[in-house]
Amino acid sequence: MPLLDIRDLVTAFHTPAGRVPAVDGVSLAIGRGRTLGLVGESGCGKSVTAMSILRLVAAPGVIESGKILLDRDGQTSDLVSLPERDLERVRGGRIGMIFQEPMTSLNPVFTIGDQIAEAVRLHRDVTPALARARALEMLRLVRMADPERRLDEYPHQLSGGMRQRVMIAMALACEPDLVIADEPTTALDVTIQAQILELLGDLRRRLGTAILLITHDLGVVAETCDDVAVMYAGRIVEQAPADELFSNPRHPYTIGLLAARPTGRRSGPLATIPGMVPAPRDFPAGCRFHPRCGFARLPDCAAHAPALVEIAPGHLVRCPFSDALGAPRPSTAGSAP
Amino acid sequence: MTPTPLLDVAGLETHFPVRKGLLRRQVGSVRAVDGVGFSIAKGRTLGLVGESGCGKTTVGRSVLRLVEPTAGTVRFDGADVRATHGADLRALRRRMQIVFQDPYGSLNPRMTVRAILEEGLVIHRLGTASERLARMRAALERTGLTASALERYPHEFSGGQRQRIAIARALVLEPDFLVLDEPVSALDVSIQAQVVNLLVELREQLGLTYLFISHDLSVVEYLSDEVAVMYLGRIVEHATADALYRAPLHPYTLALFSAVPTIDPARRRRRIVLSGDVPSPARPPAGCRFHPRCPLAETVCRSVDPPATVIDGHRVHCHVAARELDRGGTAAAAAARLAEMMAGAGADRLPAGAG
Repeated sequence: MPLLDIRDLVTAFHTPAGRVPAVDGVSLAIGRGRTLGLVGESGCGKSVTAMSILRLVAAPGVIESGKILLDRDGQTSDLVSLPERDLERVRGGRIGMIFQEPMTSLNPVFTIGDQIAEAVRLHRDVTPALARARALEMLRLVRMADPERRLDEYPHQLSGGMRQRVMIAMALACEPDLVIADEPTTALDVTIQAQILELLGDLRRRLGTAILLITHDLGVVAETCDDVAVMYAGRIVEQAPADELFSNPRHPYTIGLLAARPTGRRSGPLATIPGMVPAPRDFPAGCRFHPRCGFARLPDCAAHAPALVEIAPGHLVRCPFSDALGAPRPSTAGSAP
Repeated sequence: MTPTPLLDVAGLETHFPVRKGLLRRQVGSVRAVDGVGFSIAKGRTLGLVGESGCGKTTVGRSVLRLVEPTAGTVRFDGADVRATHGADLRALRRRMQIVFQDPYGSLNPRMTVRAILEEGLVIHRLGTASERLARMRAALERTGLTASALERYPHEFSGGQRQRIAIARALVLEPDFLVLDEPVSALDVSIQAQVVNLLVELREQLGLTYLFISHDLSVVEYLSDEVAVMYLGRIVEHATADALYRAPLHPYTLALFSAVPTIDPARRRRRIVLSGDVPSPARPPAGCRFHPRCPLAETVCRSVDPPATVIDGHRVHCHVAARELDRGGTAAAAAARLAEMMAGAGADRLPAGAG
């Protein structure tokens, strides 16, 4: 039994212009202590998937179907149907969250210490003094310099990297089994990103916390995750252990994404994926990637939505022609979006 | 290094006043750019890299005088940009254009693409109405769009297409030189590659010269002939792209490169995690500005601003690198020794939250 098991999740937004299925049948599992990277470009549904886990999707978004099974000491709860009161104990208790922009996630009128202590007291029956002591302990854990002084400071007095450390301290304050980190280092400079990734990896090793890392940065995934799931247009198109995915990508979208990144000095044009990411209200029929796919076989790919198939142990691909794609030779034909 | 640079910048300083109190008295200044020099030959691309707040964007804007520099000289094709006024300045500016990072914020949502492209032509009094239309069509086609875009508004286009419009707006004036300020940073990976290819094509077809400003080290390596690394208002290292990426000499460059996550195990470097944050440019540290975060810092680094050491056109401002280069041997050998020292010094240091 994995720690978190998402089965066939459908989350849609009901807008005046119609139903927009941002997440359209996503299944994912995360084992205890594992790090799963969920990658994809803007609008692919990766953040909506993360928000769905804790039912934080804002109206007009609703979880239409699927199960989100969380293992709580051998007992399984479905977070989709769990009563709100019980879910509040899961949020911040069993599952912690870290968002991209710590400035908007922290309350500007409370001190750092008060905010971490509040997170502790929501889930544990402790005195204010003990909660404050726990807050200090957490700041030490995330290696905040001068933690006693920081406890009484406000978010605006901290740098971006320090604020993200506070977010991590809050997320870990109640010793969660799982931390959902949504683009935790995207707003940070690369040397500060290195500090935060190092810290997350170290905390995971010491505390055994599982991490769901949502990012658009394939490099970050390659250096931090055990497993990777690639999303495109509301669906998972490929999933595999990280080493396997990067050395043997099999879905044309994954192959295209990896080839589009510049590595080294220019020796020819970059490989491109023609066209652009479709908006959820214009997802194409059949395989959603077929209009941009250099390998598409028409009319098959336009007519039939392919299933996610296990082609090797732990390696799942949503493309019936993935066998033929063993040796990546992506299209380099540039074309306007 | 090159006979006649198209752009030559020397001793450039751009300081912003810090004002306080009822009378808005100036109580200090942010030294965003504090003594920067470089030159770019015609048809070449200089990449300018560094983290937020290092001053790279201010350098780009100061060169075009979108912000007024405090000191230094900027020469464009022999003309002193800072001493030029009125019609002469306008003539220079036609030849120097800029493309911004955010394709959403840099195009006026109330203007059609035609109005956006025509604005520059009108200001510079270029062409008759039909000549302008021909120029606008040509610029759009060069960027991979069609003339049908002219009557539409920015919101009707995707991020990648908007960035093409921003490039077309610059091209319509037939410039020689473009400042590209993070032109692909806001775009998704698959769209980024399309725009990078377009920039390369335009450079080759039109003989354009680029100042390419970015925090993305991979894109800079791919596009640039030379690269300058900035830290706290200064260039700390400047070399050909090949030399800089193969054998970086400045401890900051080494740390920056090692921090970039990569999917290719062969290109992965031992990660050097710097402690602390970048200090404020309002109060830069004495001596070498990088010394509070530098694992190799020595006593001299705290008090003496390191001068440039130059070897085969590779410039570096670092006391420790200068000493290693002094020991003889090739620059590559010195770079390898410095990388060894950085890895050794970093191993027993825990990264702390703040400096």
